[in-house]
Amino acid sequence: MNGPEAIARTMKTSTRQHSGNTIVDVTGDIDMGTSPGLRKTLLESLKATPRLVVNFRKVRYIDSSGIASLVEVLMKARNSKKQLVLFGLNKTVQEVLQLTRLTTIFEIRETEEEALKV
Amino acid sequence: MSCNQGSAPELLPTQAANGPLKFQMRLASDPRLLPVVRSTVSELATALGLEDSQCRNITLAIDEALSNLIRHAYKNECNHEIELTCQVQADCLEFTFIDRGEPADPARICAEPLDEVALGGRGTHLIRQIMDEVHYERLADHNRLRLKKYMPGARREA
Repeated sequence: MNGPEAIARTMKTSTRQHSGNTIVDVTGDIDMGTSPGLRKTLLESLKATPRLVVNFRKVRYIDSSGIASLVEVLMKARNSKKQLVLFGLNKTVQEVLQLTRLTTIFEIRETEEEALKV
Repeated sequence: MSCNQGSAPELLPTQAANGPLKFQMRLASDPRLLPVVRSTVSELATALGLEDSQCRNITLAIDEALSNLIRHAYKNECNHEIELTCQVQADCLEFTFIDRGEPADPARICAEPLDEVALGGRGTHLIRQIMDEVHYERLADHNRLRLKKYMPGARREA
């Protein structure tokens, strides 16, 4: 698709179930234009699972609004005694977490298999 | 709110073969243009021979500054204009943003200490961490934000 709508779709999510856990696969860039959609998906998904696993393997970029969305979901998960686990973070995403000094508050794993064992 | 008034980046000729290299773009305050600006800034930093992590950081800082302008100066309205100029000097990269939106809150520009569970304020913190100089001015009818990043090994001004 060409035109403004094509530009707008720089991030996509899809959700699947695995052994009672919900896994959200995210693709593309997370910025102020796309983070509201991610926030909504993650908050909705969290309601129906004890453990929300987010696959960052195909995320190229994240900005502070995306980080803020993740922090919000993490706080909701903690308040309801649930887990939020992230995996597959590339260097760009890891660096943003380091710059915002948030590497220690999130559960971060290399692979999906490891994330499901947390 | 209208989101259909974005304009393509506009390239300007260099001033002189050995002088500062400059380009300027005028864009709508539309978040859909953020990936376009990121690509441009990333390509520029790469072409200048900066290390990958520096390219990523500079791109992040420019993206955060632009997002802040859209969010705070223009209150998320997509149909205003932002002018972004980048000047490549021998010792630094300087980015200048001009907008005609609301004046910035000086307290916000001065980046508060990070609270790990706070939902906002990280963008300004990131910009200050990455860039060497951050100058904000409210002029007659517009805001001007200048971000400067020195090349590795360049001498900083006193």
